[in-house]
Amino acid sequence: MPISFDHKMTWLHKINPSVKLVVLACLFVAVLFIHNPNVMVLFAIGPAILFLFFTGHPFKRILLFSIPFLLIFLSTSSSMILFGKGETTLFHWGLIDITVESLYRGMHLGFRAIIYAMLGLTFALTTSQVLLFYSLMQQLKLNPKYAYSFMAGIRLIPIMIEELTAIRYARMVRGIQNTYTVSGIFSSIKGYSIPLLSQSIRRAYRIAVAMEAKRFTDSRKRTYYYQLHFSRYDLLFIAYFGLFLLLVLSISGHYPLFPVVDVRSL
Amino acid sequence: MTKGLRLTDILVTVVISIAFGIIYKIWGPLYYALKPLGLHLDQFIYGMWFIAAIVAFLVIRKPGVALLAEVAASSGEFLMGSEWGLEVLIYGIVQGLFAELVLMAFGYKRSGIIVVSLASIAACTGSLIMDFYKGYIEDLATWNLVLLIVMRAAGSIVFSGLLAIGIVRALERTGVTAILRPTSQDDFDSLNH
Repeated sequence: MPISFDHKMTWLHKINPSVKLVVLACLFVAVLFIHNPNVMVLFAIGPAILFLFFTGHPFKRILLFSIPFLLIFLSTSSSMILFGKGETTLFHWGLIDITVESLYRGMHLGFRAIIYAMLGLTFALTTSQVLLFYSLMQQLKLNPKYAYSFMAGIRLIPIMIEELTAIRYARMVRGIQNTYTVSGIFSSIKGYSIPLLSQSIRRAYRIAVAMEAKRFTDSRKRTYYYQLHFSRYDLLFIAYFGLFLLLVLSISGHYPLFPVVDVRSL
Repeated sequence: MTKGLRLTDILVTVVISIAFGIIYKIWGPLYYALKPLGLHLDQFIYGMWFIAAIVAFLVIRKPGVALLAEVAASSGEFLMGSEWGLEVLIYGIVQGLFAELVLMAFGYKRSGIIVVSLASIAACTGSLIMDFYKGYIEDLATWNLVLLIVMRAAGSIVFSGLLAIGIVRALERTGVTAILRPTSQDDFDSLNH
């Protein structure tokens, strides 16, 4: 969890969290409609610059965070590369049929997954969760009932992790062997989830009762401890991705890296 | 039953989902460890990602809980810095919406194995629709695509259908769900004696 790591504040931290979330959601949809691998590969540079240099975390830690990206790239692209449809076969062995078409498509998918991962991680590393929900209440008019429930829930995460560890030790002390049969896996899922869930439900219920006893209501006429506003950094963030997208579209039109324009109709 | 969700309902739903969010974080690496094998073994355990919606619905039994639970579970996973990044959030919303629609079709009254399995398959359909847009799964070889769909649907029934019902039955035996239900005639009768 990013909260526990020391890091510097950068301009990404100063963006209004609602703006950041909405821009990311728009980018998600935009990337969904990129079918040209030239655009996709070049576009990956945009989030990569932000992720590598502007999250305020030390470079070593950023590199550590990037290790799963390789796994994601491999796992997302591999089934398409190995088993995708296509005409021009490069390699054939049993069920495996690697074609030029499936290779391009698999790479395209891998890059898309990495772009999503980088955008998501950049958001998680540069956004305070509490400020996010305060901002959602103020800028996007989220009902306080939901916002405060989420914030209370997030606060419970460390307690739940602690409980999970306690359950693991308790099982070890009592000599429970993890068996890797179907019934063994199901019984250990139950063994962990039932105590965790029942404690969580009790705790959530008590918090809700306590909040209502202190006159918590979902009235819109409330005051906020943190006041959040828009700033020039919001414009900078929107402009960064807007201009970058235009730049990528023009470069990829003039200097294509691959001889393919649409991975769906190869 | 009061209309809409009370603070208690929302808080309990969110906390259940975040508990599952933690379980999902442990589940994720298992998923992509199985994935490169290519034969879609990973798809069988995909159903685990729909379980929060079903468990929360079975505990609270009110409209909107399934959707809220999926949104909460996926945003919990997203905020903890999921390897999948932004897409978990969007997938969560779509899956929750589809499960919610099935439960709505039954008027939120039925909660047997069949209805719950149908809701799980609906969530699974939601994820497949997202995959058509995001992952071009229609371009997989036909046998591979069929295998993917069958594995994922079967896994949905096993994990978010049967396992969810098993978990909720065990939870009911612990007595914890009783605090969330409105007081019944039995409760009043027991006071009068």
